[in-house]
Amino acid sequence: MKNALRKTATRGVVAALAVSSLVVLAACSSAGGGSTKANAAPTDGVLTVGLLGDIGQPPDPDIYYANNGLAIVLNTYEGLVQYANNVDTVKIAPRLATSWTVNKTNTVYTFTLRSGVTFHDGTKFTSEAVKASFDRRTAVKGGAAYMTAGVQSVATPDDLTAVVTLKAPNSAFLDYLASPFGPKMESPTGLEKHAGSDDAQTYLQTHDLGTGPYELTTANTGSKYGLTQYSGYWGTKSPFKTVDLPVYTDVSALQLAFDNGDVSAIVAALPSSSLTKYDGNKKFDSVFLPTLQSALLTVNPSKSFFSTKEARTAFMQSIDQKQLVKEVLGARSSVATTLYAKGMISDGSDKQDIGYDPKVFAAYAKTLPTGTKMTIGYASDNTNAQSMANIVTANLQNDGITATAQGYPTSQVFGWANDPTKGPDAFIDGNNGPDGGSPYMWGHVFWDKSGGINYFLCDSPSTDADLNQAVATGDTSLYAKAAQTYSATGCYMNLSYNKDWVVSQKWLTGVAEAHNIGANELDFSKLGIAK
Amino acid sequence: MTRFLLRRTLSAVVLVLVLTAVVFVLQAVSPGDPVKAYLGANASPSAVAAERKTLGLDQPLPVQYLHYIVRALHGDLGISLRTHRPVASDLHDFLPATIELVLVAFVVAILLGCLYAVSGSLRWPGGAFFRGPLLVLATAPPFLLALGGIILFYAQLQVLPAAGRGADQSSPTGFLLVDSLLGGDVSEWAAAVQHLVLPAVILAIAPSISIGRILRSSLDTTLASDHVRTARAKGLTPLAVLGKHVVRNSLGPGLSMAGLQLGFMFAGVVVVEQVFSWPGIGNYLAASIPTSDFPAIAGVTLVLGIIYIVANAVVDVLQAVADPRLTP
Repeated sequence: MKNALRKTATRGVVAALAVSSLVVLAACSSAGGGSTKANAAPTDGVLTVGLLGDIGQPPDPDIYYANNGLAIVLNTYEGLVQYANNVDTVKIAPRLATSWTVNKTNTVYTFTLRSGVTFHDGTKFTSEAVKASFDRRTAVKGGAAYMTAGVQSVATPDDLTAVVTLKAPNSAFLDYLASPFGPKMESPTGLEKHAGSDDAQTYLQTHDLGTGPYELTTANTGSKYGLTQYSGYWGTKSPFKTVDLPVYTDVSALQLAFDNGDVSAIVAALPSSSLTKYDGNKKFDSVFLPTLQSALLTVNPSKSFFSTKEARTAFMQSIDQKQLVKEVLGARSSVATTLYAKGMISDGSDKQDIGYDPKVFAAYAKTLPTGTKMTIGYASDNTNAQSMANIVTANLQNDGITATAQGYPTSQVFGWANDPTKGPDAFIDGNNGPDGGSPYMWGHVFWDKSGGINYFLCDSPSTDADLNQAVATGDTSLYAKAAQTYSATGCYMNLSYNKDWVVSQKWLTGVAEAHNIGANELDFSKLGIAK
Repeated sequence: MTRFLLRRTLSAVVLVLVLTAVVFVLQAVSPGDPVKAYLGANASPSAVAAERKTLGLDQPLPVQYLHYIVRALHGDLGISLRTHRPVASDLHDFLPATIELVLVAFVVAILLGCLYAVSGSLRWPGGAFFRGPLLVLATAPPFLLALGGIILFYAQLQVLPAAGRGADQSSPTGFLLVDSLLGGDVSEWAAAVQHLVLPAVILAIAPSISIGRILRSSLDTTLASDHVRTARAKGLTPLAVLGKHVVRNSLGPGLSMAGLQLGFMFAGVVVVEQVFSWPGIGNYLAASIPTSDFPAIAGVTLVLGIIYIVANAVVDVLQAVADPRLTP
């Protein structure tokens, strides 16, 4: 009996080991994508762009206010202007407006509209659509409704001229319109026809009313979105008649699908830890494209640890910015040297002047009671931020601080502004940015107490006042002054200029040409297949 | 039996109410700001405050809870703060995918569990080659097992898909296996089966061991009992002994464990749905938690609670049918 048991057990263990080995071998051999031969181009006109996680909000341009779904919004809708593609600076370019003039006080913007443009429902694009689209954005009251809140009137002297008058001077208005989250043109007849009781919000969850190169034809939340080429599009058309956007909820599964050729491209969704696999891999293309995004470090002045400017400044000086960016973000980022995004202030007068000097903080730490605790927070879904928080934490421990790194879910991060004392002592944002390329759009959200992402309400009334004055005139020196004033609070450090990392199959062409600095997504109509 | 079912239903209702109340309290103590997630990262504080009022989140918690229950009784589970759609519509879209996955996995778990138990109790030659690997696989974390399965069967062997259900839409029932047959689309049905294989088997492995072990123990006890010895002595074939005298008397504990496991499978499906990008309520829940999408979280809690309670009631009834001595 014992022998029989032993035999049975032995057979079981052998079998188990065999199965486990098979799984392990498979896992090992798959790393790097197996064969070094590039995947073949599609012959059915279908481009497949994998989404990591669902887009969250519906792809209604007046509601959508995140990143993952911009691929849908920007390919189905168009605004009056956009940021120029394939350049690493902020430059306003025409889209549905071919030209524009601005009066001296930045209150009247006159647009000449493109002729021959039709909406997907067949409606002709005229100046009436500009008014209807601005009105809807204001009525829907989404997160980016502020962009049209300052509009006093939209005059329509003729079909191809729209005159927008603002309630107050605003030099950033063109940036509002060029922003990926800016107002997009929507068919006035479609909006009226599908208005329902919610300004067509229900309809636009699964349809679109835009003029873009593609129409939204599939919207299965959490599963898949699909676009079909619009036959009446005024611009150039790509060979892709259909764009599939399947939702992957696991990054490994997405990578495997890409490796196998089932996914044509992944835009800004892979962690930096995958760089070694794809960067320089002959089977795929891997490009880094400029963005307005940054990794940011903010400290919480409402916590006792950082209640003094001396402590905040010492902490900032203890951060080895170069090492942190190089080690964690690698080739997808460069070390930030300005307080705004790269090139946002053309003369560089927003230079970030926080020198690395760990001795200052080490000396300060010695004055603290033994066992003083500190928490470095990071967004729980951002592995890069987590790595940076871990490194900062380790360095703090060397200085005798009982430091811990802690992840926080998105809604909790957003909740700190209601009560900053509930937040960590400091927070590292792996990737964040403004809505557009105007310095006001950066300074207002990150520094102004009434901005959206000043998590810990670090207050600098002089900064707020300078920003509000600068936006009226566009005075660069005032923007620079606001930045320097805020930096002096010791609450903020711009860690890196982040880039969009796009991996694509070898046959996919036009990736850089399809990208612009504000969008963090691709214009699918500009993509092609290598011959 | 009627009184028993009524009692179970009543206790189920109380339990579900308690569950939703707990979720409400958890939401209240959570420092998150769901409205910011609803409006978007850069939304201004004034817009957030206005939306909070519109959504009724500025009201006291008991009032919010009362409104929630009253609306839920009318089939209105509120609006998801993440998808901006009615939670009831979201659940209508996502729940069938989860039910289909779990039911198929449940059948697989019972089959594997029965094979595990019977092969062990009757000492089938070579049975250890099946039980050993199954035992090893059951000890692996589900996400690791799922990734291993994808790497082996999708990336290397390329015989099974790695993500999704295999079709864009499923109607009228929402169960793709049924809808594709109703529509006479055999290729879609085959694709649905293909997409189900990996997630269902991986979801089934751990529960199959739990079911198998209990069933085996029960079979061993029954096999050693006097009435089975008597049946054998009467000259009945081993199959007849098994069918007539062993299986029915051994099913009770196995059924009980199967019911428990069915409940656990609904709770544990989140990880498998995540890895396989399965468009079910597990994924829906996983995406709702980081954004503090309370209406969605409460809706899923409500549905999972009801499923768990119904599954256990069904098992109790089945147990009573299998062994009338257990009739309450």
